Amino acid sequence: MSAMVAITWRTHRRRTLIWVIALAAGMIATAVAVAGLYDTPAKIHSYAEAVTSGSALAAINGRVEGIDSLGGVIQDEFGFLASFLLPLLGIGLIAGSTRREEESGRWETILGGRIARHQPVLAALAVATAAILATSILFAAGLVAAGVPARGAILYSAALGLLAAVFAGLAALLAQLVPHARGVYTWSLVVLAAAYVLRGVGDVAGNWLTWLSPLGWAEKTAPFGEQQRWWVLALPAVAGLASGGAAVWLAARRDLGSALLRGGANPARATRFRRSPIGFAVWIHGPATAGWLAGGIMFTAMMGALAHQFLDAMAGNPALGEAMGIGAGRPLAGYLAATQLYLAVIGTGYVIQAVGALRAEEAEGRVESRLAGTLSRLRWLAAHVAVVAVGLAFIVVGSTVVLTLSTTWSVGSADEVGATIRAGLDYLPAEFVLAGLALAVYGLWPRGFALTWTAYAVAAFIALLGPSLDLAPWVLDVAPTTHIGNPPLGAVDAGNLAALAALAVGFTLVGSVAFGRRDIPRA
Amino acid sequence: MSHSTDIVHLAGLMKTFGKVRALDGLDLTVRPGEVHGFLGPNGAGKSTTIRILLGLIRATGGRVELFGADPWREAARLHRRLAYVAGDVALWPGLTGGQCLDVIGATHGGVHRGRRADLIERFDLDPTKRIRDYSKGNRQKVGLVAALAADADLLVLDEPTSGLDPLMEQTFQQCVRERRDDGVTVLLSSHILGEVEALADRVSIVRRGRTVTTGSLADLRRHTRTSVHAVTAREPEGLAGAAGVADCVSKQRDGHVDTRFTIDPDHLDTTIGRLHAAQIHTLTVAPPSLDALFLRAYGGAADTREAAGPLAGADR
Repeated sequence: MSAMVAITWRTHRRRTLIWVIALAAGMIATAVAVAGLYDTPAKIHSYAEAVTSGSALAAINGRVEGIDSLGGVIQDEFGFLASFLLPLLGIGLIAGSTRREEESGRWETILGGRIARHQPVLAALAVATAAILATSILFAAGLVAAGVPARGAILYSAALGLLAAVFAGLAALLAQLVPHARGVYTWSLVVLAAAYVLRGVGDVAGNWLTWLSPLGWAEKTAPFGEQQRWWVLALPAVAGLASGGAAVWLAARRDLGSALLRGGANPARATRFRRSPIGFAVWIHGPATAGWLAGGIMFTAMMGALAHQFLDAMAGNPALGEAMGIGAGRPLAGYLAATQLYLAVIGTGYVIQAVGALRAEEAEGRVESRLAGTLSRLRWLAAHVAVVAVGLAFIVVGSTVVLTLSTTWSVGSADEVGATIRAGLDYLPAEFVLAGLALAVYGLWPRGFALTWTAYAVAAFIALLGPSLDLAPWVLDVAPTTHIGNPPLGAVDAGNLAALAALAVGFTLVGSVAFGRRDIPRA
Repeated sequence: MSHSTDIVHLAGLMKTFGKVRALDGLDLTVRPGEVHGFLGPNGAGKSTTIRILLGLIRATGGRVELFGADPWREAARLHRRLAYVAGDVALWPGLTGGQCLDVIGATHGGVHRGRRADLIERFDLDPTKRIRDYSKGNRQKVGLVAALAADADLLVLDEPTSGLDPLMEQTFQQCVRERRDDGVTVLLSSHILGEVEALADRVSIVRRGRTVTTGSLADLRRHTRTSVHAVTAREPEGLAGAAGVADCVSKQRDGHVDTRFTIDPDHLDTTIGRLHAAQIHTLTVAPPSLDALFLRAYGGAADTREAAGPLAGADR
């Protein structure tokens, strides 16, 4: 067993360390920044007043007990990102070291040695648990350093760690059920989205639905509340152990390479469309596009549905708007602007993932298969770029249309429909800048593609948290979304859009030229 | 001599990956209509050469001509006339075998429909299965069928039969011969000597990124020795000192004399006469196998007889 743990650690240590360090550093930086910003009880009190007066923020960030404290403010500020980053930590660590390894045939090699069938899964869970534990300890230490009481800091970190552990267990279980790592990610994210919606609806309605969600469990520990609930930690612990245990149990009993859930009928011929470069690119990017579109629609549907409650809250307490960076003048426009910013982060995630798919195609040797015939490099790349660009437009327009529909239904007025749709389109240049960056990295240095994700994380962090953390203007300027002008609330500068578009085109050209000139595969 | 008629002409080919020198002045010429065996052990630079030939990677130095043009600049145009099979065909796990054939076929100059169906049958391929459910051998068959069904002037086969069973290996050889009879030129990279011996008109042997030997099999054979294994009733006379004979070892065994030696093909006739005089029980005469040529080339500076001897003794 120790041999298997050593193998897992050796083959995934870089990934694991990056996850742990990036996540812990991000969380600690946020905590420190929040502590610096809310340095008096009065400031904390006014923040608490502002965010508890409406339901919209409860839907996004969760209902934080004991928000009238530094820990509570940190928990609230971190509510949205933590809801995704920690589950993704668990999912990413496990999916990469279980089904992907099995799919690649590497487990066959390992199981041919003195390793039992269940040990790779067990080892993956062990390494992931250690990584999660390390993240939690670092975070707890960071919180204490920022001035949060130790008991609350430890409980909050433990709750977040167990949140990651629940999803690690879930991913391990899914890895036994579906044949591909991609499926593990897809289904884990579906569960995560459902958990987020349950928690959101439960928090807004103030009912038991929150208790059905792992995200709700983390919240219900009430680390900074008057009554801490340490016993709630047992729920994720039991869920994680049960799903992880089931995964190990299944792994010991199933055939290597098998999956309980498999697809159905298979056509013997490819359609004319799929034989074309465009059609083939559609096939490659289709499933991911549909997934991101579904995520965007779920998010915007929820936000739109909550618009009415938010406006009510704003009317009762103008300070709420200020907490969200929304002026008092046009609350609905401000609310939609905040939503569009989140949607831009979602859209950017899609384009980077889609360019990453090209990198994966090359790493698997399939780009060679594709280019060994009459298809030229640039036509291949152009087809993919076109399909990804259209895919992004689909995601943005689809989600935005859903946002306008649900908002109109919620507030009973269609005033902002046109402006909302325009706002979605206005963000496209910012999204294309990072897509272009991803292409440039792919063309110049495909092995460094992970850098693109780092750039994405930085840009998303600045875009979502920068303004409320009062970061310096030049830091805010690093995120392309900053230059869009916060539509539909703020005014959009056409010059900025053009400049971003030009930058995106420039990056794309650099990437294309580099791709046209480099070795495939690049050694 | 003009190279304009050669299908492939590589001269002094160099390729470095960082500090690693993968190709170090490799030469390769493939003439129209021939099956050219491209031999070398793993890591000799065969796949690197083929990737350069396909315009997937760029040579660091040397001359590269495919159909008389530069494959780096005109890859897509030149690929109209060729079909390629990689040693480990990379396909899309989510597509069926049949879909992969169509997708790859769409990037060929043309696909012969009848041949496609015929090949699927001969290679016993189920086109409705997904690639992820295929074995390694079946994935390889998809690549082979795609290439053999293409209307191409040149087939570039990079260790094409890895993972195939012997029966399919036979089918493959038959199909390649048929394509050659149709006038198709074939560049067959391999380390399976039997396969090259069965198919190739000419071979080039590479080692450490450099061409060691090139020529027709007959040419290469002329320079190597035939090995003889005879069991006779009596000790053959005057064998050890005879012209052209070397490595002669004679042993008494079960009342017979067991003799092994290698011989220059020019002196075969007289030597067999001596054996005959000693009353032959069994006689094996093995012409120089490709193994011997191969090992001789790999013996490098070492004595050729030493290199050829033991290998030829390993009765084929």
